[in-house]
Amino acid sequence: MSHGDEFFVGHAPRMPESTRRRVRRVAAALVACGLALGVALTMLQARFDEGVFEFGVERTFDGVLLAEPYPVLLVADADGAGPRTILLSAPGKHGADALVADLVGRPVEVTGSLIDNGRREMIEVHAVRDLSADARLPAVDAGGESLGRLILAGEIVDSKCHLGVMKPGRDKTHKACAIRCISGGVPPVLRVEDRHGRLAYFLLVGTDGRAIGRELLSMIAEPVEVTGDVTRFGDLLVMRTEPASIRRPASR
Amino acid sequence: MAHAYRAVQWNRYKRLYDAVLAGGCVAYHVLFVGIGAATHPRATIETLVIRATATLAFLLLTVVLSIGPLCRLDPRLLPLLYNRRHLGVVTFLVAATHGVFSIVQFHALGDTHPLVSVLTANTEFASVSQFPFQPLGLLALLVLALMALTSHDFWLATLGPTTWKSLHMLVYAAWGLVVVHVALGVLQAERHPAFPVLVGAGVLWVGGIHAAAGLRERRGDRERPAAREGAWVEVCSADAIADGRAHVASVGDERVAVFRRGERLFALSNVCPHQGGPLGEGRIVDGCVTCPWHGHQFDPETGAAPPPYEDRATTIPLAVRDGTVWIAPDAERTS
Repeated sequence: MSHGDEFFVGHAPRMPESTRRRVRRVAAALVACGLALGVALTMLQARFDEGVFEFGVERTFDGVLLAEPYPVLLVADADGAGPRTILLSAPGKHGADALVADLVGRPVEVTGSLIDNGRREMIEVHAVRDLSADARLPAVDAGGESLGRLILAGEIVDSKCHLGVMKPGRDKTHKACAIRCISGGVPPVLRVEDRHGRLAYFLLVGTDGRAIGRELLSMIAEPVEVTGDVTRFGDLLVMRTEPASIRRPASR
Repeated sequence: MAHAYRAVQWNRYKRLYDAVLAGGCVAYHVLFVGIGAATHPRATIETLVIRATATLAFLLLTVVLSIGPLCRLDPRLLPLLYNRRHLGVVTFLVAATHGVFSIVQFHALGDTHPLVSVLTANTEFASVSQFPFQPLGLLALLVLALMALTSHDFWLATLGPTTWKSLHMLVYAAWGLVVVHVALGVLQAERHPAFPVLVGAGVLWVGGIHAAAGLRERRGDRERPAAREGAWVEVCSADAIADGRAHVASVGDERVAVFRRGERLFALSNVCPHQGGPLGEGRIVDGCVTCPWHGHQFDPETGAAPPPYEDRATTIPLAVRDGTVWIAPDAERTS
Protein backbone atom coordinates (compact mmCIF):
# COMPACT_ATOMS: atom_id res chain seq x y z
CA MET A 1 0.00 0.00 0.00
CA SER A 2 1.42 3.33 -0.93
CA HIS A 3 0.29 6.34 1.02
CA GLY A 4 2.73 9.02 1.94
CA ASP A 5 5.94 7.25 2.84
CA GLU A 6 4.22 4.12 4.09
CA PHE A 7 4.07 0.98 2.01
CA PHE A 8 2.20 -2.15 3.04
CA VAL A 9 3.89 -5.49 2.51
CA GLY A 10 1.74 -8.31 3.83
CA HIS A 11 4.60 -10.64 4.67
CA ALA A 12 6.62 -7.94 6.45
CA PRO A 13 6.99 -8.56 10.19
CA ARG A 14 5.40 -5.24 11.15
CA MET A 15 2.77 -3.09 9.52
CA PRO A 16 3.30 0.67 9.39
CA GLU A 17 1.47 2.28 12.30
CA SER A 18 -0.92 4.47 10.30
CA THR A 19 -1.71 1.54 8.01
CA ARG A 20 -2.42 -0.62 11.04
CA ARG A 21 -4.84 1.98 12.42
CA ARG A 22 -6.59 2.31 9.06
CA VAL A 23 -6.88 -1.46 8.57
CA ARG A 24 -8.37 -1.77 12.04
CA ARG A 25 -10.94 0.94 11.30
CA VAL A 26 -11.89 -0.52 7.91
CA ALA A 27 -12.10 -4.08 9.26
CA ALA A 28 -14.21 -2.95 12.24
CA ALA A 29 -16.53 -0.99 9.95
CA LEU A 30 -16.92 -3.92 7.54
CA VAL A 31 -17.63 -6.41 10.32
CA ALA A 32 -20.05 -4.02 12.07
CA CYS A 33 -21.92 -3.28 8.83
CA GLY A 34 -22.11 -6.97 7.97
CA LEU A 35 -23.46 -7.91 11.39
CA ALA A 36 -25.97 -5.04 11.36
CA LEU A 37 -27.15 -6.15 7.94
CA GLY A 38 -27.52 -9.72 9.19
CA VAL A 39 -29.59 -8.59 12.19
CA ALA A 40 -31.81 -6.44 9.94
CA LEU A 41 -32.32 -9.24 7.41
CA THR A 42 -33.23 -11.86 9.99
CA MET A 43 -35.75 -9.51 11.61
CA LEU A 44 -37.29 -8.50 8.27
CA GLN A 45 -38.02 -12.08 7.17
CA ALA A 46 -41.66 -12.75 6.37
CA ARG A 47 -43.67 -14.31 9.17
CA PHE A 48 -43.23 -18.05 9.40
CA ASP A 49 -46.29 -20.28 9.10
CA GLU A 50 -47.85 -21.56 12.32
CA GLY A 51 -47.46 -25.23 11.56
CA VAL A 52 -45.55 -27.51 13.89
CA PHE A 53 -43.71 -30.75 13.16
CA GLU A 54 -43.08 -32.70 16.35
CA PHE A 55 -39.79 -34.06 15.04
CA GLY A 56 -38.36 -36.68 17.39
CA VAL A 57 -41.61 -36.87 19.39
CA GLU A 58 -43.72 -39.99 18.94
CA ARG A 59 -47.42 -40.29 19.72
CA THR A 60 -49.95 -43.04 19.16
CA PHE A 61 -53.34 -42.57 17.52
CA ASP A 62 -56.17 -45.10 17.37
CA GLY A 63 -58.55 -45.00 14.43
CA VAL A 64 -59.78 -46.61 11.29
CA LEU A 65 -57.48 -46.64 8.30
CA LEU A 66 -58.82 -45.38 4.99
CA ALA A 67 -56.91 -45.22 1.73
CA GLU A 68 -59.18 -43.89 -0.98
CA PRO A 69 -56.93 -42.90 -2.55
CA TYR A 70 -54.53 -41.41 0.01
CA PRO A 71 -53.97 -42.94 3.46
CA VAL A 72 -56.08 -41.23 6.09
CA LEU A 73 -56.72 -42.14 9.71
CA LEU A 74 -60.28 -41.60 10.88
CA VAL A 75 -60.23 -41.03 14.62
CA ALA A 76 -62.97 -40.40 17.17
CA ASP A 77 -62.84 -36.78 18.26
CA ALA A 78 -61.99 -36.28 21.90
CA ASP A 79 -65.10 -34.19 22.60
CA GLY A 80 -67.34 -36.70 20.90
CA ALA A 81 -68.31 -34.29 18.14
CA GLY A 82 -67.69 -36.91 15.50
CA PRO A 83 -64.73 -38.44 13.75
CA ARG A 84 -61.92 -36.32 12.41
CA THR A 85 -59.49 -37.18 9.68
CA ILE A 86 -55.71 -37.14 9.91
CA LEU A 87 -53.64 -37.40 6.75
CA LEU A 88 -50.77 -39.89 6.79
CA SER A 89 -47.32 -39.79 5.27
CA ALA A 90 -44.13 -41.80 5.55
CA PRO A 91 -40.74 -40.41 6.73
CA GLY A 92 -38.94 -38.32 4.16
CA LYS A 93 -40.67 -37.23 0.98
CA HIS A 94 -42.91 -40.28 0.65
CA GLY A 95 -46.53 -41.23 0.96
CA ALA A 96 -47.64 -43.78 3.54
CA ASP A 97 -49.26 -46.19 1.08
CA ALA A 98 -46.70 -48.93 1.53
CA LEU A 99 -46.87 -48.69 5.33
CA VAL A 100 -50.62 -49.21 5.51
CA ALA A 101 -51.34 -51.32 2.44
CA ASP A 102 -52.44 -54.43 4.31
CA LEU A 103 -54.54 -52.66 6.91
CA VAL A 104 -56.96 -50.53 4.92
CA GLY A 105 -60.42 -50.49 6.43
CA ARG A 106 -59.25 -51.87 9.76
CA PRO A 107 -58.95 -50.28 13.20
CA VAL A 108 -55.29 -49.57 13.83
CA GLU A 109 -52.87 -47.93 16.23
CA VAL A 110 -50.60 -45.53 14.36
CA THR A 111 -47.33 -44.43 15.94
CA GLY A 112 -45.62 -41.39 14.55
CA SER A 113 -44.85 -37.69 14.74
CA LEU A 114 -47.65 -35.15 14.52
CA ILE A 115 -47.65 -32.34 11.96
CA ASP A 116 -50.28 -29.71 12.70
CA ASN A 117 -50.93 -26.19 11.48
CA GLY A 118 -54.06 -25.66 13.57
CA ARG A 119 -56.41 -26.34 10.68
CA ARG A 120 -55.33 -29.79 9.59
CA GLU A 121 -53.22 -32.59 10.99
CA MET A 122 -50.94 -35.19 9.51
CA ILE A 123 -48.99 -38.03 11.07
CA GLU A 124 -45.56 -39.00 9.81
CA VAL A 125 -46.08 -42.71 10.30
CA HIS A 126 -43.36 -44.76 11.96
CA ALA A 127 -45.38 -47.91 12.74
CA VAL A 128 -48.91 -49.26 12.36
CA ARG A 129 -50.44 -51.98 14.53
CA ASP A 130 -53.62 -53.86 13.67
CA LEU A 131 -56.32 -53.44 16.34
CA SER A 132 -58.96 -55.61 14.69
CA ALA A 133 -59.44 -57.63 17.85
CA ASP A 134 -60.01 -54.52 19.94
CA ALA A 135 -63.78 -53.92 20.32
CA ARG A 136 -63.41 -50.47 21.91
CA LEU A 137 -63.24 -48.57 18.62
CA PRO A 138 -66.71 -47.57 17.40
CA ALA A 139 -67.61 -48.01 13.79
CA VAL A 140 -67.24 -44.76 11.89
CA ASP A 141 -69.30 -43.43 9.06
CA ALA A 142 -67.05 -42.57 6.15
CA GLY A 143 -69.89 -41.49 3.91
CA GLY A 144 -69.55 -38.14 2.14
CA GLU A 145 -71.73 -35.10 1.46
CA SER A 146 -71.55 -33.61 -2.03
CA LEU A 147 -70.94 -29.85 -2.16
CA GLY A 148 -71.32 -29.64 -5.92
CA ARG A 149 -69.04 -28.54 -8.69
CA LEU A 150 -66.70 -25.68 -7.76
CA ILE A 151 -64.05 -23.57 -9.44
CA LEU A 152 -61.36 -22.69 -6.91
CA ALA A 153 -58.28 -20.46 -7.19
CA GLY A 154 -55.36 -21.43 -4.99
CA GLU A 155 -52.04 -23.20 -4.85
CA ILE A 156 -51.33 -26.93 -4.98
CA VAL A 157 -49.04 -27.81 -2.08
CA ASP A 158 -47.66 -31.00 -0.64
CA SER A 159 -49.62 -31.54 2.52
CA LYS A 160 -46.69 -32.72 4.61
CA CYS A 161 -44.39 -29.73 4.20
CA HIS A 162 -47.21 -27.24 4.12
CA LEU A 163 -48.77 -28.37 7.38
CA GLY A 164 -45.58 -27.77 9.33
CA VAL A 165 -42.46 -29.59 8.20
CA MET A 166 -41.14 -26.75 6.04
CA LYS A 167 -41.19 -23.00 6.60
CA PRO A 168 -42.34 -21.90 4.15
CA GLY A 169 -44.12 -24.96 2.79
CA ARG A 170 -45.47 -23.20 -0.28
CA ASP A 171 -44.60 -20.65 -3.00
CA LYS A 172 -41.69 -20.56 -5.41
CA THR A 173 -38.88 -21.22 -2.96
CA HIS A 174 -40.56 -24.47 -1.91
CA LYS A 175 -41.64 -25.54 -5.40
CA ALA A 176 -38.95 -28.15 -6.05
CA CYS A 177 -39.44 -29.73 -2.62
CA ALA A 178 -43.22 -29.86 -3.12
CA ILE A 179 -42.70 -31.53 -6.49
CA ARG A 180 -40.38 -34.07 -4.87
CA CYS A 181 -42.87 -34.80 -2.05
CA ILE A 182 -45.93 -35.15 -4.27
CA SER A 183 -43.95 -37.25 -6.71
CA GLY A 184 -43.07 -39.46 -3.75
CA GLY A 185 -46.71 -39.98 -2.79
CA VAL A 186 -47.41 -37.27 -0.24
CA PRO A 187 -51.08 -36.25 -0.73
CA PRO A 188 -51.50 -33.12 -2.89
CA VAL A 189 -53.76 -30.46 -1.44
CA LEU A 190 -55.26 -27.35 -2.98
CA ARG A 191 -54.70 -24.47 -0.56
CA VAL A 192 -57.37 -21.83 -0.92
CA GLU A 193 -57.26 -18.53 0.95
CA ASP A 194 -60.19 -16.14 0.85
CA ARG A 195 -59.88 -12.37 0.97
CA HIS A 196 -60.19 -12.43 4.75
CA GLY A 197 -57.19 -14.72 5.05
CA ARG A 198 -59.25 -17.79 5.94
CA LEU A 199 -57.77 -21.05 4.71
CA ALA A 200 -59.40 -24.17 3.30
CA TYR A 201 -57.72 -27.33 2.07
CA PHE A 202 -59.02 -29.64 -0.64
CA LEU A 203 -57.49 -33.06 -1.09
CA LEU A 204 -57.07 -33.52 -4.85
CA VAL A 205 -58.05 -36.79 -6.51
CA GLY A 206 -58.83 -37.77 -10.10
CA THR A 207 -62.35 -37.75 -11.51
CA ASP A 208 -62.49 -41.49 -10.84
CA GLY A 209 -61.17 -41.08 -7.31
CA ARG A 210 -57.59 -42.18 -8.09
CA ALA A 211 -54.40 -40.58 -6.75
CA ILE A 212 -53.14 -37.92 -9.17
CA GLY A 213 -49.94 -36.61 -7.58
CA ARG A 214 -47.58 -37.22 -10.49
CA GLU A 215 -50.03 -35.68 -12.95
CA LEU A 216 -49.93 -32.40 -11.02
CA LEU A 217 -46.17 -31.88 -10.95
CA SER A 218 -46.14 -29.09 -13.54
CA MET A 219 -48.78 -27.10 -11.64
CA ILE A 220 -47.38 -27.18 -8.12
CA ALA A 221 -46.54 -24.14 -5.99
CA GLU A 222 -47.96 -21.51 -8.29
CA PRO A 223 -51.34 -19.83 -8.64
CA VAL A 224 -53.81 -22.16 -10.34
CA GLU A 225 -57.52 -22.50 -10.96
CA VAL A 226 -59.00 -25.94 -10.31
CA THR A 227 -62.44 -27.11 -11.33
CA GLY A 228 -63.98 -30.19 -9.78
CA ASP A 229 -66.65 -31.91 -7.71
CA VAL A 230 -66.20 -31.39 -3.98
CA THR A 231 -67.29 -33.89 -1.37
CA ARG A 232 -67.09 -33.45 2.39
CA PHE A 233 -66.04 -36.52 4.39
CA GLY A 234 -66.44 -35.32 7.95
CA ASP A 235 -63.87 -32.55 8.26
CA LEU A 236 -62.07 -33.53 5.04
CA LEU A 237 -62.85 -31.81 1.74
CA VAL A 238 -62.02 -33.89 -1.32
CA MET A 239 -62.07 -32.44 -4.83
CA ARG A 240 -62.36 -34.72 -7.85
CA THR A 241 -60.74 -33.04 -10.80
CA GLU A 242 -59.23 -33.76 -14.17
CA PRO A 243 -55.53 -32.73 -13.94
CA ALA A 244 -55.49 -31.58 -17.57
CA SER A 245 -58.24 -29.08 -16.78
CA ILE A 246 -56.17 -27.22 -14.17
CA ARG A 247 -55.38 -23.74 -15.44
CA ARG A 248 -52.88 -21.04 -14.62
CA PRO A 249 -54.18 -17.47 -14.37
CA ALA A 250 -53.83 -15.56 -17.64
CA SER A 251 -51.00 -13.28 -16.38
CA ARG A 252 -47.93 -15.26 -15.32
CA MET B 1 6.82 -16.74 -6.23
CA ALA B 2 6.60 -19.71 -3.90
CA HIS B 3 9.58 -22.01 -4.26
CA ALA B 4 8.27 -24.89 -2.20
CA TYR B 5 4.51 -25.10 -2.08
CA ARG B 6 2.83 -25.14 1.27
CA ALA B 7 -0.90 -25.29 1.96
CA VAL B 8 -0.73 -21.73 3.26
CA GLN B 9 2.32 -19.55 3.65
CA TRP B 10 1.19 -18.11 6.93
CA ASN B 11 2.32 -14.81 8.30
CA ARG B 12 1.06 -12.58 11.09
CA TYR B 13 -1.17 -10.47 8.87
CA LYS B 14 -2.82 -13.50 7.25
CA ARG B 15 -3.53 -14.93 10.69
CA LEU B 16 -5.14 -11.69 11.82
CA TYR B 17 -7.08 -11.37 8.55
CA ASP B 18 -8.41 -14.90 8.83
CA ALA B 19 -9.20 -14.55 12.52
CA VAL B 20 -11.30 -11.45 11.88
CA LEU B 21 -12.95 -13.13 8.90
CA ALA B 22 -13.76 -16.35 10.76
CA GLY B 23 -14.91 -14.47 13.86
CA GLY B 24 -17.13 -12.23 11.76
CA CYS B 25 -18.69 -15.21 9.97
CA VAL B 26 -19.37 -17.04 13.23
CA ALA B 27 -20.83 -13.90 14.81
CA TYR B 28 -23.03 -13.36 11.74
CA HIS B 29 -24.47 -16.85 12.01
CA VAL B 30 -24.99 -16.62 15.77
CA LEU B 31 -26.79 -13.29 15.42
CA PHE B 32 -28.85 -14.27 12.37
CA VAL B 33 -29.98 -17.62 13.77
CA GLY B 34 -30.29 -16.41 17.38
CA ILE B 35 -32.24 -13.24 16.68
CA GLY B 36 -34.18 -15.00 13.92
CA ALA B 37 -35.27 -17.71 16.34
CA ALA B 38 -36.20 -15.12 18.97
CA THR B 39 -38.21 -12.89 16.63
CA HIS B 40 -39.73 -15.76 14.63
CA PRO B 41 -40.58 -18.47 17.17
CA ARG B 42 -42.09 -20.71 14.47
CA ALA B 43 -38.91 -20.66 12.38
CA THR B 44 -36.99 -23.88 12.00
CA ILE B 45 -33.27 -23.90 12.66
CA GLU B 46 -32.39 -25.44 9.30
CA THR B 47 -34.29 -22.71 7.48
CA LEU B 48 -32.49 -20.03 9.49
CA VAL B 49 -29.13 -21.66 8.72
CA ILE B 50 -29.99 -21.78 5.02
CA ARG B 51 -30.87 -18.09 5.09
CA ALA B 52 -27.90 -17.07 7.23
CA THR B 53 -25.46 -18.77 4.89
CA ALA B 54 -27.28 -17.42 1.83
CA THR B 55 -27.20 -13.80 2.95
CA LEU B 56 -23.63 -14.06 4.24
CA ALA B 57 -22.37 -15.67 1.02
CA PHE B 58 -24.01 -12.91 -1.02
CA LEU B 59 -22.49 -10.29 1.26
CA LEU B 60 -19.01 -11.86 1.13
CA LEU B 61 -19.13 -12.24 -2.64
CA THR B 62 -20.07 -8.57 -2.91
CA VAL B 63 -17.06 -7.67 -0.77
CA VAL B 64 -14.76 -9.97 -2.78
CA LEU B 65 -15.83 -8.26 -6.00
CA SER B 66 -15.54 -4.81 -4.46
CA ILE B 67 -11.97 -5.08 -3.21
CA GLY B 68 -10.27 -4.97 -6.62
CA PRO B 69 -11.92 -1.80 -7.96
CA LEU B 70 -11.84 -0.13 -4.53
CA CYS B 71 -8.08 -0.63 -4.40
CA ARG B 72 -7.80 0.90 -7.86
CA LEU B 73 -9.76 3.88 -6.62
CA ASP B 74 -7.98 4.15 -3.26
CA PRO B 75 -4.68 2.26 -2.85
CA ARG B 76 -4.88 2.74 0.91
CA LEU B 77 -7.29 -0.22 0.91
CA LEU B 78 -4.68 -2.62 -0.52
CA PRO B 79 -4.28 -4.52 2.76
CA LEU B 80 -7.79 -5.89 2.10
CA LEU B 81 -6.58 -7.32 -1.20
CA TYR B 82 -3.46 -8.99 0.17
CA ASN B 83 -5.34 -12.01 1.55
CA ARG B 84 -8.36 -11.89 -0.78
CA ARG B 85 -7.91 -15.51 -1.78
CA HIS B 86 -8.72 -16.61 1.76
CA LEU B 87 -11.82 -14.43 1.64
CA GLY B 88 -12.78 -16.13 -1.61
CA VAL B 89 -12.32 -19.60 -0.15
CA VAL B 90 -14.39 -18.67 2.91
CA THR B 91 -17.09 -17.32 0.59
CA PHE B 92 -17.14 -20.68 -1.18
CA LEU B 93 -17.34 -22.56 2.14
CA VAL B 94 -20.29 -20.45 3.31
CA ALA B 95 -22.00 -20.85 -0.08
CA ALA B 96 -21.31 -24.60 0.00
CA THR B 97 -22.93 -24.84 3.45
CA HIS B 98 -25.97 -23.07 2.03
CA GLY B 99 -25.99 -25.42 -0.95
CA VAL B 100 -25.64 -28.60 1.09
CA PHE B 101 -28.32 -27.59 3.61
CA SER B 102 -30.67 -26.55 0.80
CA ILE B 103 -30.15 -29.72 -1.24
CA VAL B 104 -30.70 -31.91 1.83
CA GLN B 105 -33.70 -29.86 2.94
CA PHE B 106 -35.48 -29.60 -0.39
CA HIS B 107 -34.30 -32.63 -2.35
CA ALA B 108 -33.06 -35.43 -0.08
CA LEU B 109 -35.12 -38.40 1.15
CA GLY B 110 -37.24 -38.40 -1.99
CA ASP B 111 -37.78 -40.63 -4.98
CA THR B 112 -34.92 -39.09 -7.02
CA HIS B 113 -31.22 -38.53 -6.36
CA PRO B 114 -30.94 -35.09 -4.71
CA LEU B 115 -28.53 -33.66 -7.30
CA VAL B 116 -30.69 -34.95 -10.16
CA SER B 117 -33.69 -33.48 -8.41
CA VAL B 118 -32.07 -30.01 -8.24
CA LEU B 119 -31.77 -30.05 -12.02
CA THR B 120 -35.03 -31.77 -12.92
CA ALA B 121 -37.69 -31.09 -10.28
CA ASN B 122 -38.80 -27.76 -11.71
CA THR B 123 -38.67 -27.58 -15.50
CA GLU B 124 -40.60 -24.34 -16.04
CA PHE B 125 -37.83 -22.83 -18.17
CA ALA B 126 -40.32 -20.98 -20.35
CA SER B 127 -41.78 -19.03 -17.44
CA VAL B 128 -40.16 -16.00 -15.84
CA SER B 129 -42.01 -16.22 -12.54
CA GLN B 130 -41.60 -19.99 -12.20
CA PHE B 131 -38.13 -20.31 -13.76
CA PRO B 132 -36.06 -22.85 -11.77
CA PHE B 133 -33.68 -20.79 -9.66
CA GLN B 134 -31.95 -23.63 -7.83
CA PRO B 135 -29.89 -24.94 -10.80
CA LEU B 136 -28.51 -21.40 -11.18
CA GLY B 137 -27.33 -21.49 -7.57
CA LEU B 138 -25.79 -24.92 -8.08
CA LEU B 139 -23.94 -23.69 -11.16
CA ALA B 140 -22.65 -20.65 -9.25
CA LEU B 141 -21.50 -22.96 -6.46
CA LEU B 142 -19.60 -25.13 -8.94
CA VAL B 143 -17.83 -22.06 -10.32
CA LEU B 144 -16.91 -20.94 -6.80
CA ALA B 145 -15.70 -24.46 -6.04
CA LEU B 146 -13.49 -24.47 -9.13
CA MET B 147 -12.01 -21.14 -8.10
CA ALA B 148 -11.50 -22.18 -4.48
CA LEU B 149 -9.82 -25.43 -5.53
CA THR B 150 -7.45 -23.62 -7.91
CA SER B 151 -6.75 -20.65 -5.64
CA HIS B 152 -3.39 -21.99 -4.49
CA ASP B 153 -0.13 -20.77 -6.03
CA PHE B 154 0.50 -24.31 -7.26
CA TRP B 155 -2.35 -23.89 -9.72
CA LEU B 156 -1.22 -20.38 -10.56
CA ALA B 157 2.18 -21.77 -11.56
CA THR B 158 0.73 -24.85 -13.25
CA LEU B 159 -1.88 -23.06 -15.32
CA GLY B 160 0.15 -19.93 -15.92
CA PRO B 161 -0.92 -16.42 -14.84
CA THR B 162 -3.01 -15.71 -17.96
CA THR B 163 -5.05 -18.91 -17.83
CA TRP B 164 -5.32 -18.73 -14.05
CA LYS B 165 -6.53 -15.14 -14.17
CA SER B 166 -9.03 -15.94 -16.93
CA LEU B 167 -10.34 -18.84 -14.90
CA HIS B 168 -10.74 -16.64 -11.84
CA MET B 169 -12.55 -13.97 -13.83
CA LEU B 170 -15.39 -16.51 -13.79
CA VAL B 171 -16.22 -14.97 -10.44
CA TYR B 172 -18.26 -12.45 -12.42
CA ALA B 173 -20.23 -15.27 -14.03
CA ALA B 174 -20.82 -16.71 -10.55
CA TRP B 175 -21.94 -13.31 -9.33
CA GLY B 176 -24.42 -12.99 -12.22
CA LEU B 177 -25.80 -16.47 -11.54
CA VAL B 178 -26.17 -15.67 -7.84
CA VAL B 179 -28.01 -12.42 -8.55
CA VAL B 180 -30.49 -14.20 -10.84
CA HIS B 181 -30.73 -17.09 -8.34
CA VAL B 182 -31.72 -14.58 -5.66
CA ALA B 183 -34.04 -12.56 -7.91
CA LEU B 184 -35.96 -15.63 -9.09
CA GLY B 185 -35.93 -17.28 -5.67
CA VAL B 186 -36.09 -15.49 -2.38
CA LEU B 187 -37.15 -12.14 -3.83
CA GLN B 188 -40.36 -13.81 -5.01
CA ALA B 189 -41.04 -15.11 -1.51
CA GLU B 190 -40.07 -12.27 0.80
CA ARG B 191 -42.52 -9.39 0.91
CA HIS B 192 -40.48 -6.66 2.63
CA PRO B 193 -39.15 -4.08 0.14
CA ALA B 194 -35.77 -4.07 1.88
CA PHE B 195 -34.83 -7.33 0.16
CA PRO B 196 -35.07 -6.18 -3.46
CA VAL B 197 -33.68 -2.79 -2.48
CA LEU B 198 -30.59 -4.36 -0.89
CA VAL B 199 -30.00 -6.76 -3.79
CA GLY B 200 -30.43 -3.91 -6.26
CA ALA B 201 -28.07 -1.73 -4.24
CA GLY B 202 -25.49 -4.52 -4.23
CA VAL B 203 -25.71 -4.90 -8.01
CA LEU B 204 -25.47 -1.13 -8.55
CA TRP B 205 -22.56 -0.88 -6.10
CA VAL B 206 -20.52 -3.62 -7.75
CA GLY B 207 -21.27 -2.33 -11.23
CA GLY B 208 -20.68 1.27 -10.19
CA ILE B 209 -17.26 0.84 -8.61
CA HIS B 210 -16.09 -1.31 -11.52
CA ALA B 211 -17.19 1.38 -13.94
CA ALA B 212 -15.54 4.09 -11.81
CA ALA B 213 -12.29 2.16 -11.54
CA GLY B 214 -12.30 1.44 -15.27
CA LEU B 215 -12.88 5.09 -16.12
CA ARG B 216 -10.06 6.12 -13.81
CA GLU B 217 -7.67 3.64 -15.41
CA ARG B 218 -8.62 4.82 -18.87
CA ARG B 219 -8.18 8.47 -17.85
CA GLY B 220 -4.79 7.60 -16.40
CA ASP B 221 -3.73 6.03 -19.69
CA ARG B 222 -4.81 9.13 -21.59
CA GLU B 223 -2.86 11.36 -19.22
CA ARG B 224 0.40 9.56 -20.02
CA PRO B 225 0.88 9.97 -23.78
CA ALA B 226 4.32 8.83 -24.90
CA ALA B 227 6.32 10.41 -27.79
CA ARG B 228 8.26 8.09 -30.14
CA GLU B 229 11.62 8.31 -31.90
CA GLY B 230 12.25 5.15 -33.85
CA ALA B 231 12.24 2.26 -31.40
CA TRP B 232 12.51 4.60 -28.45
CA VAL B 233 9.59 6.08 -26.59
CA GLU B 234 9.88 9.14 -24.37
CA VAL B 235 8.53 8.53 -20.91
CA CYS B 236 9.18 11.44 -18.55
CA SER B 237 11.84 13.58 -16.94
CA ALA B 238 14.28 11.50 -14.92
CA ASP B 239 13.96 13.98 -12.04
CA ALA B 240 10.23 13.36 -11.89
CA ILE B 241 10.75 9.89 -10.41
CA ALA B 242 11.32 9.80 -6.67
CA ASP B 243 13.79 7.38 -5.18
CA GLY B 244 12.19 4.00 -4.55
CA ARG B 245 9.12 4.88 -6.60
CA ALA B 246 7.99 4.42 -10.18
CA HIS B 247 6.49 6.39 -13.00
CA VAL B 248 3.97 4.47 -15.10
CA ALA B 249 3.76 5.18 -18.83
CA SER B 250 1.28 3.85 -21.36
CA VAL B 251 2.94 2.53 -24.48
CA GLY B 252 0.45 1.17 -26.96
CA ASP B 253 -1.66 -1.38 -25.14
CA GLU B 254 0.94 -1.86 -22.45
CA ARG B 255 1.92 -0.05 -19.27
CA VAL B 256 5.55 0.27 -18.32
CA ALA B 257 6.87 1.10 -14.86
CA VAL B 258 10.10 3.11 -14.61
CA PHE B 259 11.63 2.72 -11.16
CA ARG B 260 14.35 4.74 -9.49
CA ARG B 261 16.79 2.99 -7.15
CA GLY B 262 19.23 5.65 -6.01
CA GLU B 263 20.89 7.11 -9.06
CA ARG B 264 19.80 4.35 -11.40
CA LEU B 265 16.56 3.92 -13.36
CA PHE B 266 14.98 0.67 -14.52
CA ALA B 267 12.02 -0.11 -16.76
CA LEU B 268 9.79 -3.14 -16.25
CA SER B 269 6.44 -4.26 -17.51
CA ASN B 270 3.85 -2.91 -15.11
CA VAL B 271 2.28 -6.36 -14.83
CA CYS B 272 3.45 -8.47 -11.91
CA PRO B 273 4.09 -12.04 -13.13
CA HIS B 274 2.48 -13.38 -9.95
CA GLN B 275 -1.14 -12.26 -10.34
CA GLY B 276 -0.98 -9.27 -12.64
CA GLY B 277 -0.65 -6.64 -9.92
CA PRO B 278 0.42 -3.09 -10.90
CA LEU B 279 4.16 -3.18 -10.18
CA GLY B 280 4.48 0.56 -10.84
CA GLU B 281 2.34 1.30 -7.80
CA GLY B 282 4.82 -0.63 -5.69
CA ARG B 283 8.09 0.47 -4.14
CA ILE B 284 11.72 -0.47 -3.98
CA VAL B 285 12.09 -2.46 -0.75
CA ASP B 286 15.47 -4.00 0.17
CA GLY B 287 16.69 -3.07 -3.33
CA CYS B 288 13.87 -4.95 -5.05
CA VAL B 289 10.75 -3.83 -6.86
CA THR B 290 7.94 -4.90 -4.55
CA CYS B 291 4.40 -5.49 -5.86
CA PRO B 292 1.71 -3.64 -3.90
CA TRP B 293 -0.72 -6.58 -4.12
CA HIS B 294 1.11 -9.48 -2.52
CA GLY B 295 4.59 -8.13 -1.83
CA HIS B 296 6.31 -10.25 -4.48
CA GLN B 297 9.79 -8.91 -5.18
CA PHE B 298 11.99 -8.62 -8.27
CA ASP B 299 15.47 -7.31 -8.97
CA PRO B 300 14.80 -4.22 -11.13
CA GLU B 301 17.95 -4.83 -13.19
CA THR B 302 17.30 -8.45 -14.16
CA GLY B 303 13.62 -8.88 -13.32
CA ALA B 304 14.50 -12.01 -11.33
CA ALA B 305 12.90 -12.76 -8.01
CA PRO B 306 15.35 -13.23 -5.14
CA PRO B 307 16.46 -16.86 -4.69
CA PRO B 308 15.07 -19.39 -4.09
CA TYR B 309 12.07 -18.01 -5.97
CA GLU B 310 11.98 -18.40 -9.72
CA ASP B 311 9.50 -15.79 -10.96
CA ARG B 312 10.80 -13.12 -13.30
CA ALA B 313 9.35 -9.73 -14.19
CA THR B 314 9.81 -8.43 -17.72
CA THR B 315 12.54 -5.80 -18.02
CA ILE B 316 12.65 -3.25 -20.82
CA PRO B 317 15.69 -1.41 -22.25
CA LEU B 318 16.00 2.13 -20.87
CA ALA B 319 18.18 5.14 -21.63
CA VAL B 320 18.42 8.63 -20.15
CA ARG B 321 19.17 11.42 -22.64
CA ASP B 322 19.46 15.02 -21.49
CA GLY B 323 17.58 14.24 -18.31
CA THR B 324 14.72 12.51 -20.16
CA VAL B 325 13.87 8.86 -19.76
CA TRP B 326 13.44 6.81 -22.93
CA ILE B 327 12.49 3.17 -23.23
CA ALA B 328 12.54 0.70 -26.12
CA PRO B 329 9.42 -1.38 -25.50
CA ASP B 330 9.72 -3.37 -28.72
CA ALA B 331 13.39 -4.26 -28.19
CA GLU B 332 14.46 -7.63 -26.86
CA ARG B 333 13.33 -8.04 -23.29
CA THR B 334 14.28 -10.27 -20.47
CA SER B 335 11.54 -12.20 -18.78
